[in-house]
Amino acid sequence: MEQTEPAGHEEEHHGSPWPVIIAVGMGVGYVGIVSPSIPILVLGLVIFAGGAGGWIHQDMQRPSSAFYGVAAAVESRFPRVSARKLAIWLFLATEIMFFSAIIGASWTLRLRTTTPGLAFEGPWAQPGEILNVPLTGLNTFILICSSLTMVEALAAAERGDQRKLRLFLLGTLLLGMTFVGIQAFEYQKLYFGEGLTFKSAPLGVNPLYGPTFYAQTGVHGSHVTAGVLAMAYTTRKAFKGGFTKEHHEAVELVGLYWHFVDVVWIFLFTIVYLI
Amino acid sequence: MATVTATKTSGPIEVERKRPYVLVFAILAVVTLVELSVYSLGLPRLETIAILVILATIKASLVVAYYMHLKYEPRWIALIPLGGLALVAVLVAALTSTSAHP
Repeated sequence: MEQTEPAGHEEEHHGSPWPVIIAVGMGVGYVGIVSPSIPILVLGLVIFAGGAGGWIHQDMQRPSSAFYGVAAAVESRFPRVSARKLAIWLFLATEIMFFSAIIGASWTLRLRTTTPGLAFEGPWAQPGEILNVPLTGLNTFILICSSLTMVEALAAAERGDQRKLRLFLLGTLLLGMTFVGIQAFEYQKLYFGEGLTFKSAPLGVNPLYGPTFYAQTGVHGSHVTAGVLAMAYTTRKAFKGGFTKEHHEAVELVGLYWHFVDVVWIFLFTIVYLI
Repeated sequence: MATVTATKTSGPIEVERKRPYVLVFAILAVVTLVELSVYSLGLPRLETIAILVILATIKASLVVAYYMHLKYEPRWIALIPLGGLALVAVLVAALTSTSAHP
């Protein structure tokens, strides 16, 4: 983990014990879930929270610069990319597969259980029959706006424009919170008002419509919520002057995640709401 | 060993260029309106699905290319999400081959 850097080297020190502590906390937490044991789960959560707090505190103190490990700066068919950016893209590839599995499973259930036969328990809802398409269309527009403010924040960081960096990050954060708020409002209306629950659906619609809806939009909503938390941290660091024209890689990395969540929503909006 | 020069060629400290972020935003907004129009037109089901999936793919491609900067990154980076998409293609092929029609 330890890197020895020449004096005056611009690259930051890469070693940190906090990710290991976070991983230990998650491992203990999983043991608590599987056992199942509430005290072990709580212990895992405490270790996780302590590790996350320590990592955030440490990261807040240092510049956000690209890290290339020991890769040499040579001409190659495969130009170098920062290790962290590469890691984010690998993470996003796993996310593509994760969301595909959720959407694929839901689509398969839709096809198999709404076709008259042994498992037939009712048709799927028509688009707009239960879900509020205009409201979600507005939410889609809000997420698109947040992608613009996010990419403009990165552009401002690249120019060294601190004022616009903070302004656009704050805008992205507020738009993300608005998206989550509207989704929470929609959930409340659907669950308690329309009777679309985790086990059933109204209007004689196939009962699997409810759980598949909440599974697909719920995992996406949890991703947006995680993005909002990451955005809150990035915005806080920006207001503390933590990013410079030369050192602002975290803005780009959190942006990659944010845009990916937008891409997922583009498909979910079509699949869940419009068809 | 990283150098400032290398960082400028492939890292986040990209040489500043005029990028069409606002134009992409406008296209995304317009295509979203078109999607809502297609939804409300009441076209035949298969045509509706085909049009909406194509429009969603256009929107997603624009976000990935311009906002996620894949257009400006070294080309080999695109292999990573494409690898994920290849596995998605396998999943879709498996599901469609064993499922009934919508």
